[in-house]
Amino acid sequence: MHLIKRLLFLSFALLLMPVPALGASKEKLVIGITQFPSTFHPNIDAMAAKSYIHAMVARPFTTHDKNWNLVCLLCTQLPTIENGMAKPEKTPEGKDGIAVTYAIHPKATWGDGVPVSTKDVLFTWRVGRHEKSGIGNIELYRSLYKIDVLSDKSFTLHFDKLTFDYNGINDFNLLPAHIDEANFSDPETYKNKTAYDTDPLNKGLFFGPYLITDIASGSHVILKPNPTWYGPPPKFDQIVVRAIGNTAALEANLLSGGIDMIAGELGLTIDQAISFEKRHRDKYNVIFKPGLIYEHIDLNLENPLLADVRVRRALVHAIDRETISERLFDGRQPVAHTSVNPLDWVFADDVPKYEFSPDKANALLDEAGWNTRKRGIRHNAQGEKLTFEIMTTAGNRTRELVQQILQSQWKSVGIEITIKNEPARVFFGQTMTERRYSGLGMYAWMSSPENVPRTTLHSNHIPTTANNFTGQNYTAFKNAEMDALLERIETELDKTKRLEMWRRIQHIYAEELPVIPLYFRASAFVLPKGLTGVEPTGHQYSTTLWIENWDYQK
Amino acid sequence: MIQFVLSRLAQSTVVLLIMSFTIYGLMGLMPGDPIDLMITSDPKITTEDAARLRELYGLNAPLTDRYWHWLTNALKGDFGFSRMFSRPVFDVIWPALGNTLQLLGLSFLLALVIAIPLGIIAAVKPYSKLDYAINLFVFAGISVPPFWLALLLITLFSVIFGILPAGGTAEAAGVAGVWESAKYLILPVASLTIASIGGHTRYMRASMIETLGNDFIRTARAKGLSWYQVITGHALRNALIPVVTVVALDFGYLFSGALVTETIFAYPGMGKLIFDAIMGNDYNLALITLLLATALTLFGNFAADIAYTWLDPRLSFRKTRR
Amino acid sequence: MSMRVAQPSHLVWQRLCRHQMAVVSGAVLLCLVILSGGAPLWITLLELDGQSVDLFNRFQPASAQHPLGTDELGRDLLARLLEGGRVSLFVGLVAAFFASLIGTLIGITSGYFGGRLDAILMRITDGIISLPMLPLLIVLAAIDLSKLGLPDAIVNSENASLFRIATIVALAGWTTVARLVRAETLALRERDYVRASHAQGASSVRIMRVHILPNLAASIIVATTLSTGHIILLESVLSFLGLGIQPPVASWGNLLTNAQELIWEAPRLAFYPGALIFISVIAFNFLGDGLRDALDPKSATPQK
Repeated sequence: MHLIKRLLFLSFALLLMPVPALGASKEKLVIGITQFPSTFHPNIDAMAAKSYIHAMVARPFTTHDKNWNLVCLLCTQLPTIENGMAKPEKTPEGKDGIAVTYAIHPKATWGDGVPVSTKDVLFTWRVGRHEKSGIGNIELYRSLYKIDVLSDKSFTLHFDKLTFDYNGINDFNLLPAHIDEANFSDPETYKNKTAYDTDPLNKGLFFGPYLITDIASGSHVILKPNPTWYGPPPKFDQIVVRAIGNTAALEANLLSGGIDMIAGELGLTIDQAISFEKRHRDKYNVIFKPGLIYEHIDLNLENPLLADVRVRRALVHAIDRETISERLFDGRQPVAHTSVNPLDWVFADDVPKYEFSPDKANALLDEAGWNTRKRGIRHNAQGEKLTFEIMTTAGNRTRELVQQILQSQWKSVGIEITIKNEPARVFFGQTMTERRYSGLGMYAWMSSPENVPRTTLHSNHIPTTANNFTGQNYTAFKNAEMDALLERIETELDKTKRLEMWRRIQHIYAEELPVIPLYFRASAFVLPKGLTGVEPTGHQYSTTLWIENWDYQK
Repeated sequence: MIQFVLSRLAQSTVVLLIMSFTIYGLMGLMPGDPIDLMITSDPKITTEDAARLRELYGLNAPLTDRYWHWLTNALKGDFGFSRMFSRPVFDVIWPALGNTLQLLGLSFLLALVIAIPLGIIAAVKPYSKLDYAINLFVFAGISVPPFWLALLLITLFSVIFGILPAGGTAEAAGVAGVWESAKYLILPVASLTIASIGGHTRYMRASMIETLGNDFIRTARAKGLSWYQVITGHALRNALIPVVTVVALDFGYLFSGALVTETIFAYPGMGKLIFDAIMGNDYNLALITLLLATALTLFGNFAADIAYTWLDPRLSFRKTRR
Repeated sequence: MSMRVAQPSHLVWQRLCRHQMAVVSGAVLLCLVILSGGAPLWITLLELDGQSVDLFNRFQPASAQHPLGTDELGRDLLARLLEGGRVSLFVGLVAAFFASLIGTLIGITSGYFGGRLDAILMRITDGIISLPMLPLLIVLAAIDLSKLGLPDAIVNSENASLFRIATIVALAGWTTVARLVRAETLALRERDYVRASHAQGASSVRIMRVHILPNLAASIIVATTLSTGHIILLESVLSFLGLGIQPPVASWGNLLTNAQELIWEAPRLAFYPGALIFISVIAFNFLGDGLRDALDPKSATPQK
């Protein structure tokens, strides 16, 4: 009995001990995200969780800031044709190319004291160009055919194409030559030997404001300030990034003080955040930033029922996107009319818009020959039923909600919709890429500022068995004018001319409607009151690229 | 005895072999492949990139070839790399395994410590009010959906009372870390224990009731021995026999069944690892973790059989009695 | 190990009635089955609508028009619960039934014929028992049906996920019943009347059907009842993982999963499905327990 009493007392004492550091402070900031990075190598596998953390410990040369302007982070001056640091030239094959000169920040130093130099640039380039190194997207490295080393800190890149975004090398993440070159001696095994995964706490891997000091695989990452950092010193003595997969548990962790903020890049779902904001706006700032995630519905134009543009327009007229945005998303996710985001400087607002009008939808459908109704569903003179299948990724609650709303709205104008969802890997892996969806496919495109939709709209990029399913034109859209515009726009350096071409592209898109635009998804940043400096960008480059500006005042 | 062990070993190996092929085949039936997952997260990957990556990871070879390749390597001790984590499979497994053993070990022990006495008490006075109360309590535990229970515990103890962390693992290392880790383990362990007490208590109760119905018990009682003496001296050993079998089987289930608990409490254990590996189509990792889980269950059965014979003097593998 | 012999039914009934919790559970389950089985009927009678989405009436509290309020899409919660019950109970009962069917067939064959057949069947059963259940279900639930060669019409139907879940759970769950049935068949096979029947030249099938099977009925019923509860829980876990019954088909499992994020905004959306799962599973457990006690002549009688 005595023993039991002792045990009870001990457990009580244990319970009453304070939970570690509740609430944000300058000593520690705990950030909650929904995924744990599987690898820490910056160029293999583009995971949002990894980019989020990587942005705290290193910097790319260039990136887009919160106003969507290209800026220098690691470089000293942005090279442009106007200031002479970028010079158009001919490549050895005679194509139009360009030579762009950059200078690395003079004080940029890896965490172990070795200066960031052009050696690292060359090494990163070698890794990127090697076919078997495991790097995902190598277009950047492929078009970069030569590098001139001008000094330890400056170099010239030679590209084999001249496009309007010639000076943006946002994804050129530097790898430390002095650490990883040895691991690259056998390129094929590099991805398994890289120090980023075999020795992830090595200071020499980082030159940003923070160093990774501890990793608890699957659970959290701890970061502390990096003494070799060349910018303004960061304000927090310790940053902990915790991965909590279940969004309900994520919210619980925030409310219980286990975490101080939730990252918008990978955090709460939009309706959850809206609900949270209503209940806790006195203690938290919830920032909603609509972004470059374009939620839409692809229409399979090879389905004979969808080939008629009147049917496509009717589909859009029949749904009330404004009310959905209003009711479901509290107006935080603006309705889209084309794939171009309103924050993009090339955005054209004067495109045809299809307001919610069941009358217009009905009229269009009648006109298109779907005027017999059997049990409420339209049929045409040949007796065919106006029915489509809508597919999206299973398990995404918001999408499932929207699907059911749309299904119901389309039913009221006589269109029958069956819902069929699949896990993301199937949906993106086969169904969309091999165009196995018969009617409607709902998903989101992530893009970047002024991203030319060549692979999604050009007729050469329709995936077929003949071209081994290359390309992302899943709707099978074929429009000669659009093709011509897409071909010319990338190389058009004159901004006024480009603006006009963009206008035309958006007009064709809205008139022909290969896609039903839905809305631009917003990210919700849940921050405690007093936390300043977090500036959501709206595109895929994280807020942590400016983490040295974050501050906390009680 | 030796014969028994050897034949068991042989059987287990066959099961593991068949299991490995079945899983490989089933995963091959899963739609898409690992590269498709990469595509979903990176908008810039082109289809040429995808083709190149497939070639790099050897995903173009037919399934049987890949399986054979895996098998021959595994038998040499080379279990390959986890595609998702870019590290050797066991490097990924060890920390998760450690975490799971902590979690399961604690809840397993706690469940037994609570279930056995409860079962005995219920058996001594069956159909009494106490018995009903215990039954109700115990059935409640196994009838509640596990993630509902977990969220309930979190809401109660973390959000409302604020005395326990809602998930994750301890940040500090060393001695201070032990205290902290304990706090992080309390709710997950409670969640798992509540769910498993039910089965164990019921078996204990049923087994004890049956044992207590025997003549030798009545004799002992008639001789004037108290319930306590009767149970600890005579009944317990007999009653434990069937319970041991069931409990050993459960051990294997717990291993992967903690998945829900681990997900809600953001606890990086084997359950979550297995799930991520399967859904991420990471063949190497999924296979090894699943085989580990199977091996553990097989071992549990084996241990149960051994304990069975050790506890029951009437059964023996040796020709001579102990 | 106790042998069970078929009891005269009135005795069984008497013993069952003494088990209060079992009786209560039985009654509760009957109510649930009537309510959810006849869901379409009740829904039309009460003029509820569980299908139409009404964005202007989201999260409404209980009212005359909506006895339990509305959900996140403005659909009536009571209607969704009734329809969900229909699906969950259906999956539970059907899967349990088929699992028992397969298990009985295998167990009785194995136990009666013995020898090589028994050894093979039992090795297979042992093999399957050693497999980690949940991961296996996950893999099975995730495979692509069309890769197996099933026709598109089935793969794409709205109820595909329902049948898939019922099938894989049945495939994974027959082992307990098989073992149980085999053990009892082994004992029953040695009984005198069975021996006599065999001597008279009765065929194996006849013996199994007429003499052995009825005596097994009791255990099979108990096992099926208990496993139904377990299956309902399993369905909710699969829904949690995103592999269960897919919306818009409602099941208690997926209603509960969807309500996770809403526990602070509209707790009743999580409370009701959770409570219903809880009540039905605990009822199945108590009922099974009571049946087992009632059908076993050697079970304990109340002692002082």
